[in-house]
Amino acid sequence: MKDKKLKSPMDRRDFLRTCSSVVAGGVALASGGLLAAKASAKEGDVFWQIDPYKCTQCGRCETDCVLTVSAVKCFHANKVCGYCDLCGGYYRPNVKELNTAAENMMCPTGAITREFVEEPYFEYTIDEELCTGCGKCVKGCTSFGNGSLFLQIDQEKCQQCNECAIAKVCPSDAIQRVSNDNAYKLKDHA
Amino acid sequence: MRKTLTILIGISYSFHAFAVARFPKPDFTSGYQYPDIFHGAPNELFWNILDVVLLIGMMGLVVWAAYKKRSRTIILSMSLVSVLYFGFFRSGCVCSVGSIQNVVTAVVDSNYHLPWYVLLVFLLPIVFALLFGRVFCSGVCPLGALQELINVRNFRLSRAVSATLTMIPWIYLAFTILYSATRSQFLICRLDPFVGIFRLGGDLGVMSFGIVLLIMSIFIGRPFCQFLCPYGALLSVFSALSWKKLEMTDKGCINCALCSVSCPVDAIRAPQNSKTKEERRKGVNRIILFAILLPVLTFAGSILIGSQSDALSLAHKDVYLYELLQRQEAQPELEEPLEVETFHALGGDMEELKAKVDDIRSDYQFYAYLIGALISFVIGFKLLKLSLKRGRKTYEIDMARCTLCGKCFNYCPQNGRKLKVEN
Amino acid sequence: MRKLYRNIAIVTTVFMLALAVMLGVSYYQMQQVSPLETGVMETLKELNETNGDNESLQQQIRELDLLSRKAYFVKEGQLKMGIYLLLGMALVLVVCLNLYYKETKNLPEKEFDPIDEWMAKSRARKYLGWAAAVIALIIVGVVGIQHMDLKGMFAKFSEEGASAEVQEEGENVEVNGELLAEKVDTLGTDSVKGEKTDSAEVDDMPELKIASRAFRGNNASATSAARGIATSWNLSGKKNILWQSSIPKHGYNSPVITGRNVFITGADAKARELYCYDVWTGELKWTVKADGIAGSPSSMPKVNADTGLAASTVATNGEEVCAIFATGDVICADMEGKRLWAKNIGLPDNHYGYASSLLMYGNTLIIQYQNNSNAQILALNSKNGNTVWSKKANDKIAWSSPIIATLGGKSALVVMGNPAIAAYNLGNGSELWRVECMSGEVGSSPACAGGVVFGASEYAKCVAIDGATGETLWEASDYLPECSSLAATKDLVFCATSYGMVCAYDAKTGEVKKEHDLTTPFYSSPVVVDGKVYLFSNSGKVYIFSASTFDLITSFETGEKTFATPAFTDGMMIVRTDKSLYCVKK
Repeated sequence: MKDKKLKSPMDRRDFLRTCSSVVAGGVALASGGLLAAKASAKEGDVFWQIDPYKCTQCGRCETDCVLTVSAVKCFHANKVCGYCDLCGGYYRPNVKELNTAAENMMCPTGAITREFVEEPYFEYTIDEELCTGCGKCVKGCTSFGNGSLFLQIDQEKCQQCNECAIAKVCPSDAIQRVSNDNAYKLKDHA
Repeated sequence: MRKTLTILIGISYSFHAFAVARFPKPDFTSGYQYPDIFHGAPNELFWNILDVVLLIGMMGLVVWAAYKKRSRTIILSMSLVSVLYFGFFRSGCVCSVGSIQNVVTAVVDSNYHLPWYVLLVFLLPIVFALLFGRVFCSGVCPLGALQELINVRNFRLSRAVSATLTMIPWIYLAFTILYSATRSQFLICRLDPFVGIFRLGGDLGVMSFGIVLLIMSIFIGRPFCQFLCPYGALLSVFSALSWKKLEMTDKGCINCALCSVSCPVDAIRAPQNSKTKEERRKGVNRIILFAILLPVLTFAGSILIGSQSDALSLAHKDVYLYELLQRQEAQPELEEPLEVETFHALGGDMEELKAKVDDIRSDYQFYAYLIGALISFVIGFKLLKLSLKRGRKTYEIDMARCTLCGKCFNYCPQNGRKLKVEN
Repeated sequence: MRKLYRNIAIVTTVFMLALAVMLGVSYYQMQQVSPLETGVMETLKELNETNGDNESLQQQIRELDLLSRKAYFVKEGQLKMGIYLLLGMALVLVVCLNLYYKETKNLPEKEFDPIDEWMAKSRARKYLGWAAAVIALIIVGVVGIQHMDLKGMFAKFSEEGASAEVQEEGENVEVNGELLAEKVDTLGTDSVKGEKTDSAEVDDMPELKIASRAFRGNNASATSAARGIATSWNLSGKKNILWQSSIPKHGYNSPVITGRNVFITGADAKARELYCYDVWTGELKWTVKADGIAGSPSSMPKVNADTGLAASTVATNGEEVCAIFATGDVICADMEGKRLWAKNIGLPDNHYGYASSLLMYGNTLIIQYQNNSNAQILALNSKNGNTVWSKKANDKIAWSSPIIATLGGKSALVVMGNPAIAAYNLGNGSELWRVECMSGEVGSSPACAGGVVFGASEYAKCVAIDGATGETLWEASDYLPECSSLAATKDLVFCATSYGMVCAYDAKTGEVKKEHDLTTPFYSSPVVVDGKVYLFSNSGKVYIFSASTFDLITSFETGEKTFATPAFTDGMMIVRTDKSLYCVKK
């Protein structure tokens, strides 16, 4: 019978500890390797993006962004625009006179400006600094015009939160997370 | 307003179906050119690499500061750098705590592309924890750093209370896994108390909670890290088995007992030859009881939480929409919520939605049972650990709790630091 | 030096608190008032649109607009400045605190006693154990509360299978007024299978979630969200029959269910009555008579034997129930049997007998009152019977019933008459569109699915109309109903004729996808429920088809003549025959 050395409780504990450390290390490395395999060579999806064709202009983009001023802005797809005098996004419906009087404007902050191009065409531009992303002009343009005004997330301002607060409440599920290549979905047709 | 909205949606969608511009493309005769508008997404690659490099660098620095120099000043300055860079400059996102969610989603969903730096940010602190303890928590995690900078007093909570409260991070972790695996929501991102401060905006309720935690951390050390952080729970498992154990001094402990009240998270354990007030028999019986109880508890907890999987599934947007639709159908005179209105306006298919909901619910069933087992296993295991006796010869640091803040270094007389006594 | 740090820290804290409060209030104000969205602005602008050139109004709007825009941007700027200031002060505070407490230490209070560690551990075990137990108890308690309602119910009535199905429906039982309460655990039902009693403790019965508030279900949709309906039953053998009750007076109208009430009417020359039965027991709870009504005719109008005096089905909104008879008498009662109001809208000049069923939308009662003269659609306030709106039309007589359809995402009233199918705004009766496509005697009612309205009549054709635009999508004439109404899903339109043919049209093209020659006439209308189509022949033979393929799943005799259309609720079907009212439950 071999002389068994009685291990004191502390040595026994250390032994157990070392074993568990090795196991834990193995687990960490194994899962690291597995996950690395999953972490595709493809670029991760980190940019939030609105699908302008799904958007119903509910107005939540303005209120739900974590930033004080929403990162969602109105963009203008000039190539789709009809350049009309009576613009559905610029003027309120039932407008009497086509001037810049406040009671005729759709935009609450005056972010849309227009410039006369030639008869009868007007070019409309949006001042991003003033735009709050409320979507009123977008609604007007989609219902009465060509739909060239649309809401999209400005990636310069967007914080790229891990979970977009607006995406959570979007009623038409229009906000998705995409990779750098697809970061700006712009409208190219009505 | 709502009426107009639905009519407009209806009209706009009935026209959208035909995808024809109402007004034809203008025919410019004056040589007007369309404005050239460029929208590019900022390339974050540089910042992501810098993040990882700084992460490794700062953790390495903390290791050196804690194990070699035993300097709290270095650790504190790390905290400041972390708060400024990882916190305010990078807006605290993506953080290691939140990376759990991304990793879980990647494990479950093969279509989810996990960015490489998120994986690194998840793994590196764990690797360091396995080697050196909770180095990440020390001065590198912006959440921890924020609390560290402001922690100046030390009111100790009773060991019993803190032992119970340390179960909360596990419950938090379990639910995070549940909600991430079922792609319902990112719970950590939703309830992160400090990200609102870093981002200068966010949910007011959560931010107020964050401020309350900060005020608390003036007096109690690291309330978030100890009692809430799910990543901390994970790290504590690995750091309990760390390769190197931190010691207050390299000159050997003289059992002077001066360090025992220095630790803000109560991680210093006094030497003792495990004296107890009860018979050994009773203690052994208790250990056996808890060992047997462990699988029973795990099973019971699993059933308990798993049975609520349908209620829990309401956290998923589609399931919630489905329930709203059901309710509206049963009581058509109720005012239609916007989600229901939009669903109908966009021609949503109830059958399709129902199929999706059934899929989600079956997912929930599986994961709810899983996390139920996890939570009750952790509780059972803790009960078991609390029944074991421990003998120690000198003052030792419990690596599972130690966040390497370095306060104890200045208390140990062996280190030769001059300290004034608090009046 | 230390004193200085302490003072700075205190001052900074006070300032920070004050600033935080100010910012909080300002932010809250901005959220609430939202200078850009004031209702005042909106109303002013709308006023401007309607009032033409009102210079002063326009001036007012411009000034207000300028002010609100200034307010918005200034507030925004202030908020930003405030936050930066707050952060700066926080930094100062942190620095001061750290400097103040630097180089100080605490001393241990007492000599260390190793017993303390053991005691701490014992206490920790206790706390942890109790905390875990309390949380577990709370979860069990919550589950238990939901179980209790349904457990009582199933102890009396359940049989294999049905319990699991109905449990699913009982999920959204109102608990504490929250309509989306937690789902009930289906595990609990297994223990109470196979028990049945006669005497039910009716007060324990939960409220039913699914109602059937008009002819052919809610909004007359000819569909029901009910699940777990039996697919076979036997009246004489009492198989799957919960109860069967006799009806005091005869009528061809269909049952209507809301809460635990089943409403039908019956009439003869002596009296016209509205009955309320209990859905769980079949007991006749109360009767309300249509008597003592000013303008009511003293002798009954001549009506066809196949129509009778009570052909119109009642309608309810959960609070009031309204009924109409061939005399033109309309009565309204509350759920307890108290008659709220009654009026006579004029004796219908109708050679078969007035048959259009009622429909309710919120507090509006819709009556399709299209007779040989004075054809109109009436909307009455169900609380007092006053006319909300009425729409006269030069339409001819029809026996069809109106439906509420979702057109272009919004609810609208669709009425089929002779010669047109038209859609109206529910609030004011303004016409949305009108399609002239009907002719002859229109007895069948329209249906709507996927935003498309379908209508068919034996002496005309079957049409499909796009609900949003009023454009006709297709027309078909293969098989047309006389009295039975259409039922539709997004893919198929179901039609039962009086000459024995039943068929399913493709909802998109109008092509007949499947047909069956059953050689027995159908007056009752098909209803789509639980993936199946239930149809009763006049003789009382039940046919159940698949709603996706229209294959015949099963058919069997019930032995009682059935002209009325059944009504469905959670796990139960109520059928009104010539002689009785019965309830089918698995």
